[in-house]
Amino acid sequence: MTLSEYVSSRWDELTQAAGQHALVVALSILMATLIGVGVGVLTYRRPRLAGLATAATAGFLTIPSFALLGLLIPFLGLGWGPTLVALVMYSLLPIVRNTIVGLRAVDPAVVEAGRGMGMSAARVMARVQLPLAWPVILAGIRVSTQMIIGIAAIAAYVAGPGLGNQIFDGLARLGSVNALNAALAGTLGVVVLALAFDLFYLVVRLLTTPRGLRA
Amino acid sequence: MPDDISDGVRIELDGLTKRYPGQEVPAVDNVTMAIPAGELVVFVGPSGCGKTTTMKMINRLIEPTSGSIRIGGEDVLGMPPDQLRRRIGYVIQQIGLFPHLTVAQNVALVPKLLGWPKAKVTARVDELLNLVGLDPAQFAGRHPRRLSGGQQQRVGVARALAADPPVMLMDEPFGATDPITRERLQNEFLRLQRELRKTIIFVTHDFEEALRLGDRIAVFRERSRIAQYDTPARILADPADDYVASFIGGDSTLKRLALISVGDLAADPAAEVDGLPRVSATATLREALDVMVSHSTQQVACDGGVLTYAAICAAAEPAREREEVPGAR
Ligand SMILES: Nc1ncnc2c1ncn2[C@@H]1O[C@H](COP(=O)(O)OP(=O)(O)OP(=O)(O)O)[C@@H](O)[C@H]1O
Ligand SMILES: [Mg+2]
Repeated sequence: MTLSEYVSSRWDELTQAAGQHALVVALSILMATLIGVGVGVLTYRRPRLAGLATAATAGFLTIPSFALLGLLIPFLGLGWGPTLVALVMYSLLPIVRNTIVGLRAVDPAVVEAGRGMGMSAARVMARVQLPLAWPVILAGIRVSTQMIIGIAAIAAYVAGPGLGNQIFDGLARLGSVNALNAALAGTLGVVVLALAFDLFYLVVRLLTTPRGLRA
Repeated sequence: MPDDISDGVRIELDGLTKRYPGQEVPAVDNVTMAIPAGELVVFVGPSGCGKTTTMKMINRLIEPTSGSIRIGGEDVLGMPPDQLRRRIGYVIQQIGLFPHLTVAQNVALVPKLLGWPKAKVTARVDELLNLVGLDPAQFAGRHPRRLSGGQQQRVGVARALAADPPVMLMDEPFGATDPITRERLQNEFLRLQRELRKTIIFVTHDFEEALRLGDRIAVFRERSRIAQYDTPARILADPADDYVASFIGGDSTLKRLALISVGDLAADPAAEVDGLPRVSATATLREALDVMVSHSTQQVACDGGVLTYAAICAAAEPAREREEVPGAR
């Protein structure tokens, strides 16, 4: 069987795995964005806390993915739980760092003008600072996504969802029928997903960058 | 401060002091002054003397260490800061327009915060843009990035005026413009203020600007200590000390003449105007003098008749008395 014959014969199974892969990545990024932007908002004005947040999230990234997933099993069991937690941890650094960088780059005069006009601090953050920092934050989110799409494949190790199962399956029985096809199809799927996400971010960036900020 | 009063209200600073943490001397030291309702008071003083700090204590962007502030008789320090600030127009030196919002959205911000109905906000934005000389059809939908510096400053002023606040704080609002644009903005602003009669505190480094705009000028020393607080004419005629005199520079008589317009003097209606250069009634005596010198004449024609060099000299008299040139005529 050629690769393309394999793909068409297993189309349903592959698309379902790809769908789950995309879902687990999207959910992780969503949670990481909420947490990461929150951490950034709370720390960007306090250099020591900001440094701590960056160091901690950078620390997460140095943990080998097999180790992290394995270590989570005693607490979260198998499947989606450890997968989500690990992916969120891996995606935090770029989001936290870019939120801090983006908020610090907002012209203080604009913030002072907002406060001086009688906007509350929270309102200035929501209506002025975050929209102005958004292009930088979005760039961080995009980097995180690219990073964890690959890592998500390893979640098959803890029986997590996604294309990793194809790859692991194939690699485990290399030499037998369709083993190579399975591994290749899974890998190819990850690459295609990565491209699809990137395209998605391109569109999001175009739609969400305030017109006044575009060059 | 009631909502619906748009005419100016009196501002009183009493023993106002700000000591920044970790600094030995206060940035603002025991300032007491009153700004009469509807007047434009200009703060001038060297860089770092505490002008901005004094101003920002009034809208509580900076909390005073001690002292009190009353606006229209009400104690400012007892009000919720956000509510207070919505009734004080604030123009910051760096303009600070929101780059992600259009000109119209920038101007509409405070009225929206105050919950004005949409139609009223839209009408107000158009009115204000016209007021500052920006055609709404052309500028309302633009983003700040696509405006010149002078246009941005006008939007900044329009934004501060939006909710018709009785008090305006303006920190070097025309600082970032070339002299020609600056003069035009100043003139437009003077015209506006004659109509609106708000209570305005205006910070500048430019003494000429202070003379041109101020009903009164407060000359500050270090730590916001007031060296002199008086009308432009009296500061020019009678500077309190050498420090104040140094702000005026060497041409105080000419500066005084710039404060008086040709229409303020009685011209000689009987005299012959034929062949004389003309000046308008709104021109200043300084400009009239300039015309005389450039035409090598001692007379100019104006609406009421003929204005003479002697009349200009007489108008400058209070200042001339102080000059140590005995017998000079
Ligand atoms: N946040 C701050 N923390 C500590 N010191 C400050 C702070 N802001 C201002 N100062 C100090 O207080 C003094 C007065 O500053 P302020 O900004 O009021 O001066 P200014 O008269 O507005 O000067 P300029 O004309 O240059 O704008 C200065 O010596 C300044 O260094
Ligand atoms: Mg200042």
